[in-house]
Amino acid sequence: MTGPGQGFSWHRVVSLARKDARELMRNPGAVVPAVLMVFASLFPLFLVIFIVPMMVGRTLEQSGEFAAEAANAAARIPELAGLSGNALVETFLFHQFSLLLLLVPIVSATALATHAVIGEKQSKSLEPLLATPLSTIELLAAKTLTPFLFALTLSWIAVVLEVAGVIAIGEPGLWRSIVTPRLLLLFGVLGPLVELASLQVSVIVSSRTNDPRSAQQLTALLILPVTIIFVAQLMGLMIVGTQAILLGALSCLVLNLVLLAVGVRVFQRETILTRWR
Amino acid sequence: MVIAEHLTRAFDERVAVRDVSLSVRAGEIVTLLGPNGAGKTTTMRLLAGLILPTAGRVSIAGIELTGATAARARGSVGLLTEAPGLWERLTVDLNLLTHARLQGVADPSAAVDEALRHVELLDRKHEIAGKLSKGLKQRVAIARALIHQPRVLLLDEPTSGLDPASARHVRDLILGLRSQGRAILVSTHNLGEAEQLADRIAVLNTALLAFDVPAVLRQARAGKRVVIELEGGEQRAFEIGDVSTIPDIVARLAGEGVRIVRVTPDERSLEDVYLDLVGGEQ
Repeated sequence: MTGPGQGFSWHRVVSLARKDARELMRNPGAVVPAVLMVFASLFPLFLVIFIVPMMVGRTLEQSGEFAAEAANAAARIPELAGLSGNALVETFLFHQFSLLLLLVPIVSATALATHAVIGEKQSKSLEPLLATPLSTIELLAAKTLTPFLFALTLSWIAVVLEVAGVIAIGEPGLWRSIVTPRLLLLFGVLGPLVELASLQVSVIVSSRTNDPRSAQQLTALLILPVTIIFVAQLMGLMIVGTQAILLGALSCLVLNLVLLAVGVRVFQRETILTRWR
Repeated sequence: MVIAEHLTRAFDERVAVRDVSLSVRAGEIVTLLGPNGAGKTTTMRLLAGLILPTAGRVSIAGIELTGATAARARGSVGLLTEAPGLWERLTVDLNLLTHARLQGVADPSAAVDEALRHVELLDRKHEIAGKLSKGLKQRVAIARALIHQPRVLLLDEPTSGLDPASARHVRDLILGLRSQGRAILVSTHNLGEAEQLADRIAVLNTALLAFDVPAVLRQARAGKRVVIELEGGEQRAFEIGDVSTIPDIVARLAGEGVRIVRVTPDERSLEDVYLDLVGGEQ
């Protein structure tokens, strides 16, 4: 264990992050929207793949529009190669809608981080906290760690539920075309980076407001780029393949570094004490 | 134990504290008096190592305060902030346990029990902090300030907003802490409390206006007046050079045939002294 004032201490970060986790578990106002987002992001895919065909009594292959789009996209999306019939359409739709799951880490991280920071401001517990040997970087790390892990877990739960649901109800052998490097890159690399950016924006915005809802409204702007890409992909204007995901991850990495620099400036002890109201 | 020399702190153009020199010795309580905006909280934060001075020096428990030593200095200080600042969704013991861990206490659970025993709240350790009364929250906050056994305690308005019984309990607690040899600085608006607790009193209004033991403060600022109560309840006040002139005044009144009931030299209260000092400044 690192003693007081002897540089960065993970012990202090984890101690505070554990406290934040316990507070979050007792705060339905923060946790419920994050959990609801999991179901909200899963619903569109299952609606299109299973519920609607069941209701209208036709398979996806029989509903001409999706089948034609899937057939057109087959040449451009490697995951669709060699597939036909219902399996082709199901994989195509999974490919399209999986992007929506990126909203889970964004929305969850925002909901949780705003409460983690604004909660301290509202309870006036920041000054006692800063009176300990905790450094401001440790405070920033702790305030990011719990929401990060919590939101990441939720987003992975959403991915597992979506994949498991599609495999269970879809055509036999479908897992081979949906559990791909693209999926792993999307939620193993891009997802956490998008989430981290969302968290950092939330923390920065939270330092300037006393109301979690105001902070969440501002950080909700982060869902815009994902939504635009989702719609563009749905309209056939672009394909979010492995290369696009890597490019997105690189951009997010740069954005995270910029946000880290801004966050460190905002999280100055004196700024917190004198300007955070 | 705590030494501040020529301490100045400015925020941009605004000077919050100017050229303040004071000290708190082990086993001593110093109370810090001053109007709102006088720089009391800033002084507390400076002495707690929360912020650094613009000019001057601070030594906390033998540690010279600098950017590099501030974290270590904070580990030697127990700070009670104006608001208890508890995590209200958590239990009392989880509140304290987190602070014990942040302070690097070797056995956090034992330290929590010890601190709660000190403020007589051991039996409430599993209660949710948000459900406690204001007085109990303040005692938990004091336990939090004591969790790492600091040699220096800085208490910002410890009885503010408490009912008389709770306030008395907190005052008794503070007096008990002094007897353990801790250096204690108490900021308060309550002049009676200041006088009751203080070994020395510091009066601050951006600059330090006075710093001494209460009796000396009162004596130094004593008014040169005598109040003579006459038969029938009439009172007359006389300005005097010094007490040796009182018999002359009495003799003169007696010569006028006035019957004197009581002669009272002017006794200045701490409130008079404080208002003189601060009023003069304002």
